[in-house]
Amino acid sequence: MDDLTREFLIESQEGLDRMERCLTELEQSPQDAMLLAEIFRSVHTIKGATGFLGFGRLEKLAHSGENLLGALRDGKLPADARIITVLLKLLDALRGILKAIETEAGEGAGDDSKLIAQLDRLQAPALAAARQPAHALAGARRKHKAQPVPSAPAPDSAAASASEPSPPPVAFSSAAGQALPAQADAAPPHTPSQGTAESTLRVDVALLNRMMNLVGELVLARNQVLQATAADARMTALSRRLDMVTADLREAVMKARLQPVSYIFSKIPRAVRDLSQELGRRVRLEMEGQETELDKSLLEAVKDPLTHAVRNALDHGIEPPAEREAAGKNPEGTLRLRALQEGSYVLIEVTDDGAGIAVEKVRSRAIERGLLTPDRAALLSERELLRLLFLPGFSTAASVTRVSGRGVGMDVVHTNVERIGGKVEIESRPGHGTTLRLRIPLTLAIVPALIVRSLDQSFALPQAALSELVHIPHGQAATAIRWMQNAPLYRLRGKLLPLVFLDRLLAPGCAPAPASDRDRFIAVLNADGRRFGLVVDGLADPEEIVVKPLSPVLKGIGLYSGATVLGNADLALILDPGSIALKAGLALGAEEDAAPADEDAGSAAKLEYLLVETSGRRAAVPLDEVLRIEQLPLSRIEIVGRRPVLNLGSQLLPLVDSGGILSSAPAGSHAPVIVVVCRKGNRQIGMVVSQVLDAAAGGRLSLAGAGIPAGGITLLDERVTAVVGFGSVPALAFTGEASLDWNPVAEVLP
Amino acid sequence: MSAPDRDAPNSRTLASSSDENAAVLEEVCSVRVGESLFGVPIRHIYEIVGGTRPRPVPLAPGFIGGLVHYRGDVLTTVDLRHLLGLPPSAGAPDFLVMSGQGGNFGLLVDAVGEVLTVSASDYEPNPSILDERSRVLLAGAYKLNGNLLVMLDPERLDPLRLEAAQAQQPQGKPANQ
Repeated sequence: MDDLTREFLIESQEGLDRMERCLTELEQSPQDAMLLAEIFRSVHTIKGATGFLGFGRLEKLAHSGENLLGALRDGKLPADARIITVLLKLLDALRGILKAIETEAGEGAGDDSKLIAQLDRLQAPALAAARQPAHALAGARRKHKAQPVPSAPAPDSAAASASEPSPPPVAFSSAAGQALPAQADAAPPHTPSQGTAESTLRVDVALLNRMMNLVGELVLARNQVLQATAADARMTALSRRLDMVTADLREAVMKARLQPVSYIFSKIPRAVRDLSQELGRRVRLEMEGQETELDKSLLEAVKDPLTHAVRNALDHGIEPPAEREAAGKNPEGTLRLRALQEGSYVLIEVTDDGAGIAVEKVRSRAIERGLLTPDRAALLSERELLRLLFLPGFSTAASVTRVSGRGVGMDVVHTNVERIGGKVEIESRPGHGTTLRLRIPLTLAIVPALIVRSLDQSFALPQAALSELVHIPHGQAATAIRWMQNAPLYRLRGKLLPLVFLDRLLAPGCAPAPASDRDRFIAVLNADGRRFGLVVDGLADPEEIVVKPLSPVLKGIGLYSGATVLGNADLALILDPGSIALKAGLALGAEEDAAPADEDAGSAAKLEYLLVETSGRRAAVPLDEVLRIEQLPLSRIEIVGRRPVLNLGSQLLPLVDSGGILSSAPAGSHAPVIVVVCRKGNRQIGMVVSQVLDAAAGGRLSLAGAGIPAGGITLLDERVTAVVGFGSVPALAFTGEASLDWNPVAEVLP
Repeated sequence: MSAPDRDAPNSRTLASSSDENAAVLEEVCSVRVGESLFGVPIRHIYEIVGGTRPRPVPLAPGFIGGLVHYRGDVLTTVDLRHLLGLPPSAGAPDFLVMSGQGGNFGLLVDAVGEVLTVSASDYEPNPSILDERSRVLLAGAYKLNGNLLVMLDPERLDPLRLEAAQAQQPQGKPANQ
């Protein structure tokens, strides 16, 4: 495909996207001359270029559309729903042909005569009433528009510039195309992107990927420079600067890959319009947070799940108007799309105010399908029952709600979002509506991972799948790991955890080394609902890794999701926990599907905590907030301002020393200190503790009589224990004392 | 020169006997693997990188020599020693960066030698007595002074092609990695 055609395709597709947006807006305000002008321009641009490039079919279609749009724009015809529907059809047909040009290098064989006839028929009344006076602005435009001959734009009519005969397609850059409407009409611009158009330019994603690679390379070179110059005082300042510039550069390049969510949200109004007509619903669409940004590749991945979610909300969520009225609701339903950033995630919520999900129906359906026994089903909370909707095969034709199975395609949503490292949550209140929440990581390119060692090689394990680490000291492996025939199991807090030995998995031929002659570590992983322990020989540091794709030959092995270059320039393969579970035969059959759900039932009611001791007091930290536990000499801890901090290479970790362990230790001592590194939102905090006791599941406590959950305390090992909250720890501003959110009942009650 | 499917410029430069243009020259990079000298047309090579230690990939097919780091990318390498049936070497091999169907890949060789300019008139296609394995990899030879420069066919060294070839011949020896 030559450059001209490629350019034409990009321009046209952008034009059509704009047209789609305008068409759905037009329905709300049919008199809006600016919207009409914009739509006209999109079609006109395509037509102008087709003659040039020799796309006859496209030209004919665009020509008919242009005639109809001309009549609309000149005010000869009102833009009613019928016309908009046909225009949307035109849009689809044009898209189809563009797609054919892109993929087959030809316009494709299709018959447009019906659509053309329809377009011509609709503009007939306008032709009949030809000489009717239109209102002033539209009239002025028609004058300029009607002449195909190039005419110098009249200085008094800015509208003329909008109707210039189209220049060759290459020159019709998006900046010009978007800037024009702003000049063309004195009315305030409708699309917010117009103002920014001139300061942006289009960049090939491949180029961005390359920049990302080069920055990664630079980071490695920097690391080596830092190591080499550590001894030289003069070089240190210089290499520090290199360090900072590299970090900033990396962030800038990553930002360049981000696109606003509006990129996918903009497709939704059309989908909602079509669906609500098809299903006989009345729906008002609200969209919020369109400026939230997300990595380009992730946006692409979210597109389908989002469409599914919207379809579901309309089909099974929002009721028909009559039914809504009968229920005392506004006959017009509301569908709300919301995007917002939360820490290193972007949340996309799809909320409807429809009928909600009948949880009891889900329960009976699950029993009917043999997914749950009645006893077990009775124990499940609403949240766990709703999670069942994500099970493949659960959805489809089951009559969960009145219409058909709520959950059509829910497993698709779930699978797609999990594939990119995201999560799906669902909340529903019967009679009030449902919220589907997609939690998407900000970027795919950089993943926090734990580096593990096995077979004397490094492997990266994505943190997202890792729930905890268990150390088995040498000599204890024989007693800690139980064998049930050939299946190794580990007893983790009373539950049997299936184990997979990474070395045996990767080198099946090797004679199994005697298990107890060295330390082993179990990484407890959660992959697609399967929980298992991966046994590795050693642990190295956690690292933020840049994921590099693997050759298809190696992808075929099915255990690795990519490779990465570590900080020390070593290469590491990135393990894919889901595939490992599959390869090791941990796949759960349909009958066992209920088991993880059941286990979740336990964990939802009973959160897991890390039990620590600080100067004689027991305290608990929610396990999912704990990143890692470090043991290091006291001398590594420095005091900045009046606060202790830990220098972790490139970052400073503020420490909380509520037990006074640091202040009571003799200065300059090399005695080991234990620091629990926790994450709270975007921040990391270290907590100095005397001892790490255990991990335990804790139940909720409620205040006697009141029935409300007690904040900040929980029941662990039959003892009331304070939960540490980090909400009130100030960031590293050098003022104020570190204050921990200790609850007054912090002391352990015997 | 057996396969007619070779790309046009290649077959032109290597056009054998019918020397209508005897002065067609080609630049060939010589590489050493074990005791033998092989040639790779230089226009297929992006870059030559010396002295690497490829990171092995457990469970990968035998012809995969591991992963190497190249300009911020992770390249899959093809182990020429393995393809030629030689035992693994202890040294740090060199690799040639070449372009394949699934992106760039590296070709591991024991050492890269000098770049030779050879004349098409010295070219001879594969002899018929070559065994099956060599016939697939080799693309004839140039007669040098007292030596033979056996040519490698870069297209057939593409890991995707090698994998496809291996899948077609399941009777081939199992991956001994």
